Order: sequence, then structure tokens, then C-alpha cells
Amino acid sequence: MPKFTRKGLLAGAAAGAAAAPFVKVAWPSDAQADPSATHLGHDHSHAKSGHAAMVGPDVPAPGGPNELDSLLLPGGALPYKPGRVRTYDLVALDRTIEVAQGVEFNAWTYNGTVPGPIIRATEGDILEVRFTNGGSHPHTIHFHGIHPANMDGVFEIVEPGAELTYKFPARPAGFHLYHCHATPLKKHIHKGLYGAFIIDPKEPRKPAQELVMVMNGYDTDGDGENNFYTVNGKAFYYAKYPIRVSRSKTVRIYLANLTEFDLINSFHLHGDFFRYYPTGTGDQFEYTDTVVQTQGQRGIIEIDFANTGLFMFHAHQSEFAELGWMGFFQVTD
Amino acid sequence: MSDTAAAVRAGRNWRLWAFVPLILLTGVVALFSAGGSSITGLLGENPPPADEFDIRRVEFHPGEIRIRVTNPQRDDLTIASVTVDDAILPYEVDGPTTLGRLRSSEIVVQYDWVPEEPISVGVTSSTGIQTVEEIPAAVETPTASAKSVFGYALIGFLVGIVPVALGLLWLPSLRRAAPEWLAAFMALTAGLLTFLAVEALSESLELQARLPSALGGAGLVLLGVASSYLILTAISSRLGRGSGGGAGATGMALATLVAIGIGLHNMGEGLAIGSSFALGELALGTFFVVGFMIHNVTEGLGIAAPLSEGKRVSWERLAVLTLIAGGPAIIGAWLGGFLTSDLLGVVFFAAAAGAAFEVVVEVARYVARKAPGGLTSPHVLLGFLAGVAVMYVTGLLVA
Repeated sequence: MPKFTRKGLLAGAAAGAAAAPFVKVAWPSDAQADPSATHLGHDHSHAKSGHAAMVGPDVPAPGGPNELDSLLLPGGALPYKPGRVRTYDLVALDRTIEVAQGVEFNAWTYNGTVPGPIIRATEGDILEVRFTNGGSHPHTIHFHGIHPANMDGVFEIVEPGAELTYKFPARPAGFHLYHCHATPLKKHIHKGLYGAFIIDPKEPRKPAQELVMVMNGYDTDGDGENNFYTVNGKAFYYAKYPIRVSRSKTVRIYLANLTEFDLINSFHLHGDFFRYYPTGTGDQFEYTDTVVQTQGQRGIIEIDFANTGLFMFHAHQSEFAELGWMGFFQVTD
Repeated sequence: MSDTAAAVRAGRNWRLWAFVPLILLTGVVALFSAGGSSITGLLGENPPPADEFDIRRVEFHPGEIRIRVTNPQRDDLTIASVTVDDAILPYEVDGPTTLGRLRSSEIVVQYDWVPEEPISVGVTSSTGIQTVEEIPAAVETPTASAKSVFGYALIGFLVGIVPVALGLLWLPSLRRAAPEWLAAFMALTAGLLTFLAVEALSESLELQARLPSALGGAGLVLLGVASSYLILTAISSRLGRGSGGGAGATGMALATLVAIGIGLHNMGEGLAIGSSFALGELALGTFFVVGFMIHNVTEGLGIAAPLSEGKRVSWERLAVLTLIAGGPAIIGAWLGGFLTSDLLGVVFFAAAAGAAFEVVVEVARYVARKAPGGLTSPHVLLGFLAGVAVMYVTGLLVA
């Protein structure tokens, strides 16, 4: 093991004590091109401490680059066309997934990931979601939205090996979610059976760089308290791989909270403010830099970045942030 | 004639026959192992392993926390995530990341810990099981330097050697005491040794409960107690023969035995003080040190009592007895301060208990022989009770 020198320690401590060390990081357009630039002039990467140690390739986060793209990028909205049928296939699967670096979690998933796939439709579309239960326990899908009672995923339990197609019109426009509603409910949700559900309005929203963020937690040792917190399923993933966005275009985030055990979760943006539209159903917004959501709450965030550079985002519960719910935007021109 | 030959042959053969059960056992074990988990197959599934680490020691150095972890279970255990005060931090591992049974590694985390504030460290296995150790107050861990070596030696000197030496100064007074009073003081020695034995035994049992189950167990304590008891019995019979006592140790021999018993106890005591201080669990205040000195001064009295009759004892001999009884406190303080091993603690305290019990027996035999009125005279009974009571009361000073 490399020996830490006292000198290196002091340098690391000084960097940690600086007001905002990560702002000083000259983030290269390609992180691999000049790794020394992120080291604040230290000889050893492990001599970094504080937030400076928690950005870039050295961050203890699972997964490779672009691995979470399908959960982050919702694809485009389709134009309004009443009666059009949108089909999705969801399969419940028992999967062991890496939720934090080196930490495996025995999850129950839709299509193998936590959160499950993004479901997107335009208001007036007919949604057909074919659900197959490939797991070892009875499951359902309960969509938030307006739909018939027998499509609610509460009484229609799908046994292992069975199948059920949910069919209903997509409404109202906004940002919603779906999750399993089998009992025990707490277990079925914290094991990972949930996902984002976007319904685009008749009048398309203005063009933007669209992102989906589902906030969650994992109780890996079964004591009823979360050991890790993430957005889109992997602790510190966006600290290791900052999300690249352009300053010239609005950034729209579909933000939902599916954290079990804790009463609330939150989103805080550094260095800028945003418009927050609760549930994404109306034009009313709050201009803020911090929003709070309880489990099941969601909304749409629109950011027009004023500056370029590396901007942190995280839960403003410090504990959640330091247990994995923390990331960065890399804003470029 | 042939009968005798057969008897001789049979006498030799018993050793060979003794191997038969062992050979058969090996065969049965081999057959069972080859069969795999067939019994599990009949009964159901094995429960999953607990996957909890054993956090053995947490050290605080400037800007750095070092966490020593052991895998207490049969299955391998992998270090996956490290938290300090519920925050995930980058870490380095000195040693393997995946630990086999009873293997240890040291985790190093860069961290600006706040002195004297509570702190918790957590180690999470690859299966997501978190083990958390709460430290009541973070205090910089002393490292081995000339200064700290001297510091621990000074602690050992103050709580071990000084009180024993002071206690021995009761010798001139004891020499002038009446025989029944001498018997009372001998009984007092037995009482305080019994107190020390019980205390050491309870300490040992408490420490073994903290060990991983694979290492611990009351059997380990018994092993320590029995070994030291029997070793001291052997020493005692040798010393007794040397001094021509015949039926047990007297005078200098008995004083030496008492000193050995007390010395082993002081070694355990030094170990406990050293490790508690190193781990920030103990404030070494003036009151604490003074309390220990008062508590231990009676130990000197215990050594002096058997010397109070017979020949005069030279200063050199008294110095040696003081070293035997008090010196181990210094060694214990070093071991505790720099190594901190609960296993070592269990063994020392068990040995101390065994030795003290043995010496109590020696003293009782001595008193039975020498005291006017024997073991049941009021002086002896009250003396014994006084010994226990004095230790209890002065023990309150260090509690």
C-alpha cells in the first residue's frame, strides 16, 4: 500500500478546506485526456479529500460510462394523435444488481434495472403495457394517472409466470410514475419495482435537453434504513460520470421520488436556479434551487444555465448526498 | 513365563490400538465430505451467512482513520464500502480486500475527524451488510515513539511498582505483630487475592464474549485458568522443596508465589489501562492513577505478610519481589497501548485468575498450619473478609 506522507496529507486537507474546491477543477472536455488536471496539483490521486475526491474517474461508483443512458434520456415526445396505440413490454425479473461500488443488492426489477424503463406517451394515446411476471413473487403494475378501476394494478395480482396487459388512455399530461402494488407494499417498492411515466401534453413542450431522474434508496442489510441513496439506481454514478449539457438550451429534468423508508427526498442545484412545475401538469412554477418531494411526488425542473463549468446537484439532506445521491452537470457552451 | 510375555506385548499394543478410533474417524469424515451437502439436501437450506465484519480497532491519526476489520465467519467476506458518520468515503485497504476466515485487513480513510466528538465508522460487505462501530469520542491514537513508550512505562510504574513497593514497607511493622495478627494479615492477603481472581475471571469472560465466536468461548478462559493454576502449583512444589518446607511453601517461597500471582494480575491490569487509553475509552486523570495506587498498595501488604516471620530479607530480594509483582504492569501497558488484542486480554486475565486462585490455596494451607486456632479462628475469618472489603472499597476509586 502506498504510504501517505504528512506533506501530502496537509495539502489534501487544505484543498478540502477551500470553499468550493470542485469549482476550481478545470474539467477537460475529455476526462481521460488530462487526468492530472483533476488532481489539484497533487502527486497522488488518493491525497485528495472532501468533494474534490468525489468527482471524476476516482469516485467509488459502479457501472461504466453511458450505462444508465436508457434511464436518463427519455427519447423524444411524439406529436398529438388521439387513439394511437403505444405498446410497452415489462417483465418482472429477480436480479442481483450493483447499487454502489462493490455492493450487490438482490433486487426485484422491471426489465432488469432499478428504476424500471421509462414509459412515455402523448396525451390521447392508448397505452398497452404487457406485463409478464418472470419473478418469484406475485407482482402488479400500478400506474399513476386517470384510468378504469380494473387497470389500477391493485386487485389484479399477476402470479409468477402469469401475464396481464394493462390498457388505458394516457392522461393527464404531466410527469407520473408506476410501481408494483402487491403486498407487502413497502417490500415490493424498496426492492426496486418502480419507474418513470411521462405523458406529453397535446401542445408540445418547448424543445429542451431532457433528462429523467428517479430518486431512490437501498436498504441492503434489511434493518429498515437505507444504506445507499441514488438517482437512477447507482450511488455516485453522476459524480463519476458528470452529465454533459449545453448552456444554449433549456435542461428539462423529470424528477420523481421513490425512496422508501425516508419521509422525503430532495433535489438541490448549485450555482443556478430553475423553474419547478409540480407534477408537470400546469404552467404554475416556483423559481428556486431546491425542491422537496415525498414518496410518489414528482415534478418537472427547467434550468437555463447562466454559466459553464462543473455544477453539483444532490439531495439537500446531507446524509443522502454523502450516501450516494450526488452528481455533477458539466455545462459547456 | 509366557503369561508375562503376553502381558508385556499387550502393554506395548495399547498404543497401537489407541490409533484405531482415530483411523476410523478419518475414514468416516472422508466419506461424509465426499458426499457433499447431502444432509442439507434432506433438511432444507442453510441460512445465509451473517456477512458482518468484526471491527477490531479504530485508530485516529492526523487527517486519517485506520479501521482494523476481521472476518469472523466461515465464508469469505469482501470489503465494498466504507462510511464515516454515515458518509461514503474513498478508502485504501492495507491487506486483502476479500478476507478468508479470521483474516484481517486495515482500512485507511482520509478524514478530518473532530477531536473529542463522537464518531461512527461503518464497513459494508459486498452483500450490502453494514457493520457500524460507534466511538464515543475520537482521540488521537498514540503511536509508538520514545515518548509514548516512556509514557506507558510510567503508567505501569505508577500503578504497579510504586504501590507494591510502598505496601512492602509494612514489613517492619508486621515483623513486630502478634501471631494472631500475622494470621489475620495472611488471611487478608488471601482475601485480596480471591478478589483479584474473581475480578480477573469476570474480566476474562467479558472479553472473550467480544471475540469472534470461532476464537472465543468460556473454554478458552478455562484453559488459561487451568494452565496458570497448574504451572504455579508446579513452581510452588519446587520452591517448597527448595526452602525445605515439605508440606507447602512458606516465607520467601510463598512471598514469591504471591508476587507471581499479583504480577500476572497487574499485567492484565496494565493491558486494560493501556488499550483503553489508546482507544480513547479512558481518561487517565490524576484521580484514576491515585485510585489505582491506593487499590494496589494492599498487594504489597500481601507480599509482605509471608515474609514477616523467619530470617530477615535483604533489600535486593524485596526489590526483586517488587519487580515480579509490579513490573508486569509496564509490559501490560505497552502491549495494550500498541497492540490491543482482546485475545491477549482474555489469556492474560484468565492466567491471572488461575494464578491468584492457586496462591490463595497456598496461603490457606500456610495459615492452616501456622495460625493459632487454624483456618477458622476469628482473626483469619475477619482478615479474609477485610481483604475482600478493602479491595472492593478501594476499587470504587477507579470505577
